[in-house]
Amino acid sequence: MGLLNTETTTPVTLRTNGDRVAVLKSTEKRSDQWSQLLISVGETHDRQAFAKLFKHFGPLLKGFAHASRNEGWFPGLGDDLVQEVMIKVWNKAAGYNAEKASATTWIYTVARNCRIDMLRRKSNTQHLPLENEDFWHEPDEETPISLLQQKRSEDKVQSSLAQLPKEQDEILRKVYLEGKSHAEASAELGLPLGTVKSRVRLALQKMQVIVSIEAQE
Amino acid sequence: MNNTSQFHPDETMLLEFSAGTLATAPSICVSAHLHFCSKCRTSLLRLDQVGAQLMSEAKPLELEDDAFDTVMANLDSSQQIAAKADNKRTSYPFSVTKLMKNNLVSQTWKRLSASVDVARFETGQNEFEVALHKICAGGKTPKHDHHGLEYTVVLKGSFSDENAVYREGDFLVREPGDVHQPMGAQNGECICLSALSAPIKLTNPFGFLMKPWLRINPM
Repeated sequence: MGLLNTETTTPVTLRTNGDRVAVLKSTEKRSDQWSQLLISVGETHDRQAFAKLFKHFGPLLKGFAHASRNEGWFPGLGDDLVQEVMIKVWNKAAGYNAEKASATTWIYTVARNCRIDMLRRKSNTQHLPLENEDFWHEPDEETPISLLQQKRSEDKVQSSLAQLPKEQDEILRKVYLEGKSHAEASAELGLPLGTVKSRVRLALQKMQVIVSIEAQE
Repeated sequence: MNNTSQFHPDETMLLEFSAGTLATAPSICVSAHLHFCSKCRTSLLRLDQVGAQLMSEAKPLELEDDAFDTVMANLDSSQQIAAKADNKRTSYPFSVTKLMKNNLVSQTWKRLSASVDVARFETGQNEFEVALHKICAGGKTPKHDHHGLEYTVVLKGSFSDENAVYREGDFLVREPGDVHQPMGAQNGECICLSALSAPIKLTNPFGFLMKPWLRINPM
């Protein structure tokens, strides 16, 4: 059983990567079931937990692959992506940091990187020295944001995304699900690039996604 | 690293980076900035939450009958990474370090002008030239304008131009037509990562790049 599941009332000190020590209060557990399952896979190679994750995320990953409208798309992409992502989930689960992100967010980042690389390999004849994952080796924070704050921002994203005006929601879906750049979205929707960008900015403001310099939490 | 950069990629660029729709060369620059900027790392985490939420709202599709068994059969043969991901702090961003190790066009700095050296990277795309520039301490660079977009991230030291002083992690965008004259700081050399788009003229039948990337305006 991991430290995250400890039922104590006193703060638990968690030693994480190297020099960083984070204090996790017992009230700050990441309670969603997918994150708990992912922690079990990482800590004890729990195959039953992995099977549950597979059942939930497999069909979503296939849907995510099929939503892509990018160059390089091929009919078998969905099944290939499910295989590649779920094997990566198994292999990398020990590196999952529940303080930083929910399992859904973590698996999304793995899926995004895999999808881009698979499409690039299909559509590109040149040797590609970097994989998308190489862009995401961020150093750990010296002052990590608390789990509570993370969860709050996740809840905020969830609820505010549902309330976005249709024209803002449409662009976010084009970019994240179909994999279109703003320029491609503007061409497809017959809108000036500036309009696409200002809709994106409005959506991000509503969801309070961008940390401003003054208001760093 | 957590120095607070003054100049950041704009939010639409961060969103494209999070969605993976930003081209390779600007992505290298954004990833280099993230290495230095905790504020943008936090924004990115939230942008990823947006992507995750949208993915989980995507229409689920039924898997092949043997999909699960195939993955399970492959788990044994693939190696589970036991330790936590290696996120050690290095002085240079991961993507740049990887390029420096494997993908330098030439192993030595090439002289671009009296005070600027350049080292180009092979990045598997032709839209942008991606390179490191080294400005020597107090070095004046030639006044130049840009054919295309130029992204710059300061990796070491600082430089200044007519408008401001740019320090480690700062992310700059120059548009076509912007003319500027960067100057290296007096107290040490400055190393920058840059991605420069140029109107590629594929005029000869073999498709070689014929245009020089940077137009140097003699003063």
